[in-house]
Amino acid sequence: MTMTAVSAPAAAGAPPRRPSPLASGLLGAGKFLAPFAAVVALWWAIKAGFDLPDRILVSPYQVLVTFWNLLSRGVLADYAATSLYQIGVAVVVSAVVGIPLGFAIGSNAYVARALGLFLRFFQGVSGISWLPLAIIWFGFTDTTVQVIVVYTLVVPVIFNTMLGVRAIPPSYALALRSLGAGTFRVVKDVYLPGALPSIVVGLRLGMGYGWRALIAAEMLIRQGGLGDLIFGARTFGQIDRIICGMIAIGVLYVVVDRLIVQPIENLTVARWGVLRK
Amino acid sequence: MDATSPDKIIVEGFQHFFETADGPVQATGLIDLKIPAAEFVTLVGPSGCGKTTLLKAIAGFITPTRGRIVCDGKTVTGPGRDRGVVFQELAILPWRTVRRNIGHGLEIAGVPKAERERTVARLVALTGLKGFEDRYPHELSGGMRQRVAVARTWAADPDIILMDEPFAAVDAMTRLTLQEELASLTFSTRKTVFFITHSVDEAVFLADRVLVMSKRPGRIKASIEVPRRKAGGRDWESFTTDPEMQAICEQVLRLVRDERMDGAARPGETPDPLKEAS
Ligand SMILES: Nc1ncnc2c1ncn2[C@@H]1O[C@H](COP(=O)(O)OP(=O)(O)OP(=O)(O)O)[C@@H](O)[C@H]1O
Ligand SMILES: [Mg+2]
Repeated sequence: MTMTAVSAPAAAGAPPRRPSPLASGLLGAGKFLAPFAAVVALWWAIKAGFDLPDRILVSPYQVLVTFWNLLSRGVLADYAATSLYQIGVAVVVSAVVGIPLGFAIGSNAYVARALGLFLRFFQGVSGISWLPLAIIWFGFTDTTVQVIVVYTLVVPVIFNTMLGVRAIPPSYALALRSLGAGTFRVVKDVYLPGALPSIVVGLRLGMGYGWRALIAAEMLIRQGGLGDLIFGARTFGQIDRIICGMIAIGVLYVVVDRLIVQPIENLTVARWGVLRK
Repeated sequence: MDATSPDKIIVEGFQHFFETADGPVQATGLIDLKIPAAEFVTLVGPSGCGKTTLLKAIAGFITPTRGRIVCDGKTVTGPGRDRGVVFQELAILPWRTVRRNIGHGLEIAGVPKAERERTVARLVALTGLKGFEDRYPHELSGGMRQRVAVARTWAADPDIILMDEPFAAVDAMTRLTLQEELASLTFSTRKTVFFITHSVDEAVFLADRVLVMSKRPGRIKASIEVPRRKAGGRDWESFTTDPEMQAICEQVLRLVRDERMDGAARPGETPDPLKEAS
């Protein structure tokens, strides 16, 4: 991953000298942080260059102060916890509901073809467009948010599980039956592992969509969560708070995606190898 | 085994059509075939003549459009562990290591791990896969994958073995070893084998009987008996120097070539199943 510059020319035959792990770690982190630093610098330049008042744009320093403030008073943790809890529940519900459904649809060619268009249709009707109906049915409650997020998440999970099952060569299942396997065996040894990389992709996509839908729903429902935090801050013109909330939204997404979801995906891809030769 | 018939596999009035978007496609002509227990039958014929289709019907993967398949006196309705299959497309599982692929049939049968490992080790040695036990199929060459597929079927120890060009991608040296091993092992264990190949030499070397199919939609146009294999099976050295065997090879080659060349010039004509080139 990290391109480490070799400073001293390596002696013939000897392996090239590597920089210390700490140094290469810093170098690696620097590469990823540089674009962020550039944006902050630009932001600062705009703020100072146009001499913008705080009600239009605050300085990065002001945001830093507010961020620390929100963090130390536990405000940020409170709002973030609500959002994380919501997305967590939605992931579990979508996996429990979506994976079996995807299997049921994918294991029958006729049903898969019949429902392909149907699923595409609902992929197009975004979760947020269900909000008016959900509010009429469930009011301005957590339930409404949950319904929107689960819906957003479950569709890609169902769809990708189905695709994963469909992509398994039929000969795999036949080979197992010729080895004496029953249906349970075939599901356990062929369909489940065969569809797993695709299921992980579905969950990962779903989480991305679900996170965005969650923030949007929270902004309208106003029952806690980071969406509530930034929308509420707008009412009082607290630009620093809005930006702090936005940073938290992005950071949490990256952390969850990079530290939890991507490692799982890499693991399945690495072990499963090139599935479709 | 059925007491009234010595035949392990009976193909009766078989004919198959595949349903496609443009209507049914005829995959085979009318086929009648009897394979006695412990016989090694090889099948040669031009590409697309329906060899794989016939094998799939015996394996129970497709339901014949016409006719029926009987194995051990029972009409075939689906796949079963009595009929092991080595697929043309291999069908070993990419998420299982070589070891776990080869031992899969034993695992399904509930064979204890220690015994399973012993069988796997024996087959790994036999197929020249030593050192690759813990690799995944995508880390192997095409020929190695083919050997894994053969070993997997072999390990499960079925009565009937159906093989669809199993050695096509194996290197020449390994192929010779595998062919000799297959010939002697199936002979000593009295396996009934149905083996598809494009190589005439291979077909004659392995077989008790070589079947030649006509071009699509194929029928069995000739059945050539090969002198019985001896207890030790066959070996390539004596095979290539045996004039009788070489004469059979030539005969089969002529039948196959006939089908490929002037067969194409006479479309629609039903080949005479009794036509012999000798
Ligand atoms: N699933 C299918 N749908 C439609 N047509 C098929 C299908 N499978 C096979 N066929 C057709 O049936 C015919 C026989 O196919 P088959 O696979 O049995 O040939 P083969 O003798 O095994 O050929 P090869 O030597 O190339 O493997 C071919 O013309 C093929 O196009
Ligand atoms: Mg074929």
